[in-house]
Amino acid sequence: MRARILALCTALLSAPALGQDEYRFDVGEFEKKPFELNGYAELRAERFWLDRDAALYQLNFFDSETRSLLNRTTGALELTGLYRAGIATLQATVHGEAMRDELGHEGEAKFYEGYLTLEPATGTRVEAGKRVLRWGKGYAWNPVGFIERPKDPNDPELSREGFVLLAGSYTRSLDGLLKTISITPLVVPTADNLNEDFGTGEHANPAARLSLLAYDTDFDVVVLGTGARSARYGFDFARNLTTNLEVHGEWARVTDAAKPVVSASGIVSTQAGDVSSYLLGLRHLSARDTTTIIEYYYNGAGYTEQEMRDYFTFVHTAYEQFLATSDSTLLTRARSVQTSYLRPTPMRRYLYLRVSQKEPFGILYFTPALTVIANLDDGSTSAAPELAYTGVTNLDLRLRLFFLSGGRLTDFGAKQNNQRLELRLRYFF
Amino acid sequence: MRQHRRSTRSGILAAVLLVLVSPATLAIDGDDILRQVDRKLNPESYEMYRKLINIEPDGRKKEFVMFSAKKGRDKMIALFLDPPSEKGRATLRLGDNMWLYIPGVGKPLRITSLQSVVGGVFNNADILGLDYSVEYRVEKLEQKPGEYLLDLKARTASVAYDRLIMRVDAQALVPIEIDAYAASGLLIKTLRFKDIKDFGGGLRRPATMETDSPLYKGYKSVMLYAKIKARNFPDEVFTLDYLPRSGELR
Repeated sequence: MRARILALCTALLSAPALGQDEYRFDVGEFEKKPFELNGYAELRAERFWLDRDAALYQLNFFDSETRSLLNRTTGALELTGLYRAGIATLQATVHGEAMRDELGHEGEAKFYEGYLTLEPATGTRVEAGKRVLRWGKGYAWNPVGFIERPKDPNDPELSREGFVLLAGSYTRSLDGLLKTISITPLVVPTADNLNEDFGTGEHANPAARLSLLAYDTDFDVVVLGTGARSARYGFDFARNLTTNLEVHGEWARVTDAAKPVVSASGIVSTQAGDVSSYLLGLRHLSARDTTTIIEYYYNGAGYTEQEMRDYFTFVHTAYEQFLATSDSTLLTRARSVQTSYLRPTPMRRYLYLRVSQKEPFGILYFTPALTVIANLDDGSTSAAPELAYTGVTNLDLRLRLFFLSGGRLTDFGAKQNNQRLELRLRYFF
Repeated sequence: MRQHRRSTRSGILAAVLLVLVSPATLAIDGDDILRQVDRKLNPESYEMYRKLINIEPDGRKKEFVMFSAKKGRDKMIALFLDPPSEKGRATLRLGDNMWLYIPGVGKPLRITSLQSVVGGVFNNADILGLDYSVEYRVEKLEQKPGEYLLDLKARTASVAYDRLIMRVDAQALVPIEIDAYAASGLLIKTLRFKDIKDFGGGLRRPATMETDSPLYKGYKSVMLYAKIKARNFPDEVFTLDYLPRSGELR
């Protein structure tokens, strides 16, 4: 009996100690390793409500059966590996995607990155290989993103493929109002089978970025020399105006910017000239944890409202001719220049607004948001309410519904669908 | 004569002693206590590992592990090591400037001190907090049996919590409990420090901090500390250029 009482007392006395042990932290599990492998698997289901009178529906579906709905399922896998040895680090990212819808299926896998870094001293670095560079401070657009593939403002955080390059980097920290200075010279060589997406011909394509942190402001000056692309230069900045308000901006000048222009009658010509583009943005966090991002983008290389109307008018004319004669010559011509006309936000003036609310009604890890992209030239818009949940460890869930609106010959009004529902599940490992 | 000189000397000595032990001289300097609390919690430049545990009312947990590096008064990096969905996410603080790097985004973005980098009760100020004495001044000090009660006011508006009421263990000079208030007077959260442990290098401090908030009723967050040790980093580590590579610091 005495022994039982003693055991009970011992148990009661040791209770607080057991309470402390309920949280386990074995830091040894997180030691740095020479080899690391991470990634995610993604499943994306989309439903498109097609607009059969829209120019881009007619352009893309003229040779297939008439439909008003399109369901698409996409599976993706992205793997990132890293190997460390002394001052060297080897890093690679592979991205594979397979897509199936009622029109067919396709898939591809690509090396997004694969590069070697040598860092003989902190702040001094050399990198060689395929690498993603992201210049600029804008969230939805980056006029100074001279060495990157186009960004989709509907999904600015999507990973993208890089270019093969050789870059150096030297960074110094200083005392005083100029706190940091960093210089990054690089070359993006182009040749047959090398960076062909960047441009054609054999060129070194030299570029550089100078970054400063001065007066509590981030400031970058960027330049790309003449080569496979025309010469261009610009700057960007970002600064916190108050504790909950950030301002950022970019300005870029592109010399000899060329673009194909199609008249309403289908005559294709090339326009070239020096153009400027810029972006001004704000990011605000309210006391209620509402984040608002607003950006104004002027795209000097974009199409005017009239140029865009002419292109869509030509597509409609070509489609009518196809219906009357079964001759698709004009539609094929319209398709040949669609890369320029159909890239994300191809016109001059846009406004981006994103409002997201962190954990409303006390629901942890839940973030509803609304994203609106307005074309200020023709008044067309894309509005996308969104629900995101990250409450399950390593699983991100996102549901979005896009509503596109605008006249028949406008940027968003001419898209092949007027609504799109997207459910994305992403599992990280 | 000698007697008189001796008594004069004694009088002067007594007067000096009186001045030295007067209440004004005995007054404890609250800011000095706060500086001592800072040094008891960690060296001025250090590295450490932390685990954050968010506990939901139904007992479900979500855990994050991060590595932190701090230099001097106002340079700090926090890098997420786990779970895989957050791995590589890093925040940099240089004074009042803060940036967040997300591997998918590929470049550091400026954020504000109140922006949350993970869901739950913790925010950036908890993750990238500097020394208390750098961010707060002591407005009032109260002595209670076995503890000090410090009323702290933020030095600038950029500090996440406008006012802290800090209970300090008078002997160990480490915090026992902190109530954090917004400028409006609203209680945002309460931090409770427990489980005093020897981290080596003369550092003996709480290894566990529990947090709850009236804004998140029923939810609790816990921060566990490990491997806190003094380390001096090159200044160039605390730059935007280095932030994506902060995993190499370990």
